[in-house]
Amino acid sequence: MTGRVRVTTAGISSVTDLGRSAGGAVGQMTGGALDQYSARAANALVAAPPQAPLIEIVAADFAATTSANLLVALTGAPADVAVNGVPMRQWEPFWWPAGTELSVRSIRLGMRVYLAVHGTLDVPKLLGSCAPDSVLGFSGPLHRDDTIGVEPGPLRIFHSHLGIPVVRGAVQPPRFTDHWRIPVTDGPDRDEFGASAHRLHAGRFVIGNHSNHIGLRLTPVGGARLPVREHHGEVLSRGVPIGAVEVPAGDELLILHRGRGVTAGYPVLAVVTATGLSRLGQARPGQSVEFVRVGLGEAVAAARAEQAAIDRLTRRLARLMSAHDHRGSTASIPDSRPVPSEFEQLSTSS
Amino acid sequence: MASLASTGPAVRVLDCGDSAVRVVVDAPDSDAAWRTAHALAALLRQDAPDGLLGALPTYDSLLVEFDCVRTDHAGIRGRIAALVDRVDGVPLRVPRTFRVPVAYGGFHGPDLDAVAAMLDLSAAEVIARHTAEPLLIRCFGSPAGAPMMDGPAFGAPIPRLASPRPHVPAGAVAVAGRQAVVSACPAPGGWQILGTTPLRLVDPSHEPLSAYLPGDSLHFYPIPESEFEAHRGALS
Repeated sequence: MTGRVRVTTAGISSVTDLGRSAGGAVGQMTGGALDQYSARAANALVAAPPQAPLIEIVAADFAATTSANLLVALTGAPADVAVNGVPMRQWEPFWWPAGTELSVRSIRLGMRVYLAVHGTLDVPKLLGSCAPDSVLGFSGPLHRDDTIGVEPGPLRIFHSHLGIPVVRGAVQPPRFTDHWRIPVTDGPDRDEFGASAHRLHAGRFVIGNHSNHIGLRLTPVGGARLPVREHHGEVLSRGVPIGAVEVPAGDELLILHRGRGVTAGYPVLAVVTATGLSRLGQARPGQSVEFVRVGLGEAVAAARAEQAAIDRLTRRLARLMSAHDHRGSTASIPDSRPVPSEFEQLSTSS
Repeated sequence: MASLASTGPAVRVLDCGDSAVRVVVDAPDSDAAWRTAHALAALLRQDAPDGLLGALPTYDSLLVEFDCVRTDHAGIRGRIAALVDRVDGVPLRVPRTFRVPVAYGGFHGPDLDAVAAMLDLSAAEVIARHTAEPLLIRCFGSPAGAPMMDGPAFGAPIPRLASPRPHVPAGAVAVAGRQAVVSACPAPGGWQILGTTPLRLVDPSHEPLSAYLPGDSLHFYPIPESEFEAHRGALS
């Protein structure tokens, strides 16, 4: 590794990726970035592979220095991003010059910011993934003065007049809000809740403080009521999907997220869609959620539409890199510019 | 929901969100359902369609996870329908039996006496039944891939603790209902703890993470508390 990133303010951060899909077969959580869309977008913006390690920054301020010139992109929730105090834009790549400090402060509306690097972060992997597993004790949070080896990628030039227009606006931030509308499809055990299953779609639920990467706990507000299980047969343990909506103890909704235990014996009332899970990965305790009932076709189409924008960006950047290879230009670091306000307006307009 | 018309076992494929299906095996007995669920998972992994992320079998069902951008429910259902006819031909892996030392009772097994009282047995008789036969691992369980086993021949189901313990250490050897387990990692737990093994069952610094697979068995044997440290190591 030719470079090192040193953490100067750790906050609540870790190096992660899209998760350990091979873990489920041997009983391990999937884990990985809770907002998969923002994580995929961050890697695509710096022409990194989808499963490349990146840094997930949760709610609290973060800062780090680098010993190498790095092309980086930050996605996820709105925040004040700066390099040596000069504001930088999220959702497009910029140069993080060697010897400077990148800071992420005042994360707002959402919970998670993703920092992706054009190049390779050198971190240990387990079953093909660097995602921390809090249960197994693999990897874990970053601490102050931790260093991460980094090999910068081949793209040494990203000219402000050449490169930025190619990617500006190519992937849009999700809508951030205090009132999330989350699409869900019917779960395989919906019948066990009888007519009360409709209550899931008939009001608002507020996200509780004991929510994390394993699951979100929600209670009804403003006259909403919880669905009630009508059948109480013994259920054999079985695999539960990420996004499963359950009512385990009868007093709150539990939505299993990427850190879930892979087996359980509770009936699955509904399942949050792939795009909805990314939104829930940003939802904060105290914010409210409405669950919108959608069909499988609509859910799949939404997932494909999000990925299509990322794939278009990946193809554009591949063409840019190929053109760059032929020209053999020298490195260029664009001017640091103040942050325009579009992102803030976009983010708060919902 | 309809059974797939075939000569193979009857399975129902239930949608489980946009990225998974649950396959439930309808078989005359639970053992046949379990064998079919695990054989079907093995076939899916060997002959993985594009976009398949994983197949997780437990008792009478398996969860099949996929990337709905790269495949869809119809594609996954089609593959399952094609493979279900072949489950009877899946060659059986030769199962392994692992010897597992356990310090029973006292500090290491706080519920041994209570379980003995429930069953109207002595503590020694409970240990004798728990160690009499190897216990069959049915599936990986939560958390962290713990081995979920058929329980020993106690003659009666064992109730869970009225109030779960907030901290159960790794290696806790426990029973509940007609099942048995060894904790793979520290976690809260409501099962009755008969003893503790000094062996590490799941090791994140090593692949594969665990030596056992569903179909293998654990054969417990008692050790004195004084030998606990001497038996430390990984299950192998």
